[in-house]
Amino acid sequence: MLKKLSDAIGKNDYYKIWLKDAWPYVTGAVLLSVFQIGTLAVTGNPWGVSAAFANWGAWIIEAFGGSVEKWYYFSSDGAIAVLERGFLRDPATVRNLGLIAGALFSVLIASAFKIKKIKTKKQVVAAILGGLLMGYGARIGFGCNIGALYSAIGAFSLSGWVFAVFIFAGAIIGSKLLVKVFM
Amino acid sequence: MQEQTLDCLGEACPVPLVKTQKALEDLAVGDVLIVQIDHSCAMKNVPEWAREAGHNVEIEEVDDGEWEIVIEKAK
Repeated sequence: MLKKLSDAIGKNDYYKIWLKDAWPYVTGAVLLSVFQIGTLAVTGNPWGVSAAFANWGAWIIEAFGGSVEKWYYFSSDGAIAVLERGFLRDPATVRNLGLIAGALFSVLIASAFKIKKIKTKKQVVAAILGGLLMGYGARIGFGCNIGALYSAIGAFSLSGWVFAVFIFAGAIIGSKLLVKVFM
Repeated sequence: MQEQTLDCLGEACPVPLVKTQKALEDLAVGDVLIVQIDHSCAMKNVPEWAREAGHNVEIEEVDDGEWEIVIEKAK
């Protein structure tokens, strides 16, 4: 019975177009634009991703009895207010959790969920090194490719275009390195 | 006609695409390359590139989140 139902859904054209196959780039771009306008209107802040991770770090340190009071990064009134409101009252945090849940939902409904095997130690080293570099870079650059690039350009800020030039330069160097290391 | 399998399971973009391009270079016209992938971005960029390069491409879903891109070298 269930098998029959899932087979029928699997063959449905609209299931294929809307849920199974990847949406065209333009559809994604339009939806992202609409949602980021909604984000700005509702939360008062432009869309950002990586700033929340720094706050997660601060909350983890506080959970273990530490303090970030003296850290320059968390010294502004705005940063202190966000940390005081806490994990579930930070819009950026909730949005990031939603992003992860949404990604999981979309891959499950397309029945494309798979836990990937780690092939080589190189992948582990590259993932950890890359993550650290991206996270650190995003913080000292006051934003990642969302907050400092996408949202900045959307707000007609010149800084977004400067960020774009350097992120492309970094991506070119990074790809060359990646091909050298992994090929 | 020769058939060759390229294991790209567990590899993230752009590694599957670069590996595919290199593997195809060594094949003769009419040969078939089967690229195994489990990275959904590669599902987009590998067939897109291969079709643009003029090869015949077919995608098979072999398991949840696992695909085989069958490329017949056309030129």
